[in-house]
Amino acid sequence: MFHLLQTGLNSTDAGSYLPVGIQILIAIGLVAFLMFATHMLGPKRKTTDKLQNFSSGIESHGDARQPMAIKYFLTAILFVLFDVEVIFFYPYAVNFRELGWNGFWAVLMFVGFFLCGFTYIIKKGALKWED
Amino acid sequence: MNALILSAVFGVVMMFSGILLKQKSAVRNLAIAGILLLLVSNVLETYGTAFFKVNVNGMMYFDRLALFFNTIVFVSALLYFLLTAKDMEKVGVNYAEYFALIFFILCGITLTSSFKSLLILFLGIEIISIPLYILTGTDKRNLKSNEASLKYLLLGAFSTGLMLMGIALIYGAKGTFSTEGANLVTDKPSVLLVAGMILLLFSMSFKASAAPFHFWTPDVYDGAPTVFTSFMATIVKAAVFIAFIRLFDEAFGTLRAQWQLWIAVITAATLFIGNITAVFQQSVKRMLAYSSIAQAGFMLLSLYAMNTDAKEGILLYVTAYSFATIGIFAVLARMNDYTFDGFNGLAQKDPLVAGSLTVFLLSLAGIPLTAGFLAKFYMLKATIATPQGLWLAIFAILMAAVSVYYYFRVIQAMYFKEGDDAKAPETTPVFRGTLVILAALVILLGIFPDLLLHWFYF
Amino acid sequence: MSHKKGSQLIAQGSKLKKGMPINYYIFLSLALFAIGIVGVLTRRNAIIIFMCIELMLNAVNLLLVAFSKMHHAANVAVNATAGTDGQLFVFFIMVVAAAEVSVGLAIIVMMYRNIHSVDVNFLNRLKH
Repeated sequence: MFHLLQTGLNSTDAGSYLPVGIQILIAIGLVAFLMFATHMLGPKRKTTDKLQNFSSGIESHGDARQPMAIKYFLTAILFVLFDVEVIFFYPYAVNFRELGWNGFWAVLMFVGFFLCGFTYIIKKGALKWED
Repeated sequence: MNALILSAVFGVVMMFSGILLKQKSAVRNLAIAGILLLLVSNVLETYGTAFFKVNVNGMMYFDRLALFFNTIVFVSALLYFLLTAKDMEKVGVNYAEYFALIFFILCGITLTSSFKSLLILFLGIEIISIPLYILTGTDKRNLKSNEASLKYLLLGAFSTGLMLMGIALIYGAKGTFSTEGANLVTDKPSVLLVAGMILLLFSMSFKASAAPFHFWTPDVYDGAPTVFTSFMATIVKAAVFIAFIRLFDEAFGTLRAQWQLWIAVITAATLFIGNITAVFQQSVKRMLAYSSIAQAGFMLLSLYAMNTDAKEGILLYVTAYSFATIGIFAVLARMNDYTFDGFNGLAQKDPLVAGSLTVFLLSLAGIPLTAGFLAKFYMLKATIATPQGLWLAIFAILMAAVSVYYYFRVIQAMYFKEGDDAKAPETTPVFRGTLVILAALVILLGIFPDLLLHWFYF
Repeated sequence: MSHKKGSQLIAQGSKLKKGMPINYYIFLSLALFAIGIVGVLTRRNAIIIFMCIELMLNAVNLLLVAFSKMHHAANVAVNATAGTDGQLFVFFIMVVAAAEVSVGLAIIVMMYRNIHSVDVNFLNRLKH
């Protein structure tokens, strides 16, 4: 099963591509045949009801997408960013003892850059909830 | 290492300068001071003074090539700031943040020029790309800018995915991310390794906008604010090329038989598509986008040849191309009309600007006595030195001849066509001075290329 | 390392763990990756394209972790920390992906505010 991935690269003569060619031909042929067959054999009924939304027989009204204030989005994005950055603490926590003071200073630097970003966000007013 | 840490710190400094400094000129001067600091610290490191002692575990390697390339980048960035920093004010309100993003990009560039591990390559490319997505979309109300930004983001992230898959497959085959580890190939490389290499080849061609992966380039370069197109088309492109060359030289050098034909085909396609399509453009900005694809084709020749001439040549080429293109874009950013007709009669209105522009265009076209000619010459020399490289060199010369047409259209418009009554673009003394210095550098490098290449060895 | 040795290594790794052989992981993550690529190329909603890109990245993450385990099992006798770099790479991919997502969503929101749609077919202004 895995041997396809392990064939030698030296066999680059045109003949070795024959199976690939056959495969492509069969694939295209099958798709073309099926599309043709369904088009010819299947019945067709075109009604306007088919184009309507179906919601348990109740007629739909309005748009489900309400405009939302941009600050929700901003908060969510900032949360994602800060949440994911914390991932670097996991390897540090595991190797806390082995890394010693060097590791501590490195992580402190990381947190420092981090806090710079956080201060920047606050200064820019991205977390201000009231207008 | 100096430049890497200082550029990251300076990015943060520029971020806060927008809050602390009220005047735009102060922000601008701070940015220019920052780039000067980077340049000086990098040159100091070249002469052996490293400020920071960091154990990088063999993931990075600041050799002569990396440091020298960084110097070229910082000089180009300094000239870029002097010429176009003022025009960035027109783009939007977040003036200081633009500089911060540019400094972060410079940080990424120092990573891509010095990586020894595929992890650093990935981080470098991403640190370059993500700020660029933002810079492309800075013109928030302009739909073209929005569109360019989204297109760049989706395609850039897609190519990053390809690159990561390539790296993962190489890791599977080798058990290490070190580029030296990948080089330990004996007679028969594993399929995983070759598949990973091909994926990396595709994604790097994507980032370097080589055909057939170039289709995003014209749209993105056209849609982005002109000042940032200038940065993207020159300094960033150079950084991607240096990463491309380092990767395929160091990691896949012994697999050369596997990729050389791919590169040859990509090079020929890039040269052909870039040059032929550029001929039909009506907007100078879009023409320059296609011309940057065409020039990327020439730079790819060094990847194909990969000998000493090629490595010297790519440095000269990158310098010549960046200087000339930064100059042209700086003038373009001040024009009101981006079509060829917009340049009509510029020679009468402002002979100095028109003269420098002519020098830049001649250099891009590869006319003798300019840096562009020698750069192209080095590339062709390197290509001819390789077996079977002759046909590629001949094709490249043919395409260079085509390129003369569209570069000379601009010169023709400036000198031989009557302009309307519109005034010449406004220029400050600093702008004019820098432009003349840039033109002088282009000619100087065209006559004495050793001035540059000597530094590479000294 | 030669191809033969590589496949030996793979066989060894799968034997040592007594779990699933590495092939299954390779096939699974390549399948996920392919689904992601097809999604990027065929979908028109910018957000769904973005999700497909994330799928591609996660396929890579899965593959890296699988390879990391494989190399660890094969080399643990020589080097106790063999293969951990693969898992570290995954952390970096996740963080970079998060940064990319936040920038990407910001760009999509910016576009939505201008044209009230996230359909990428609207992106044809730059074509002449």
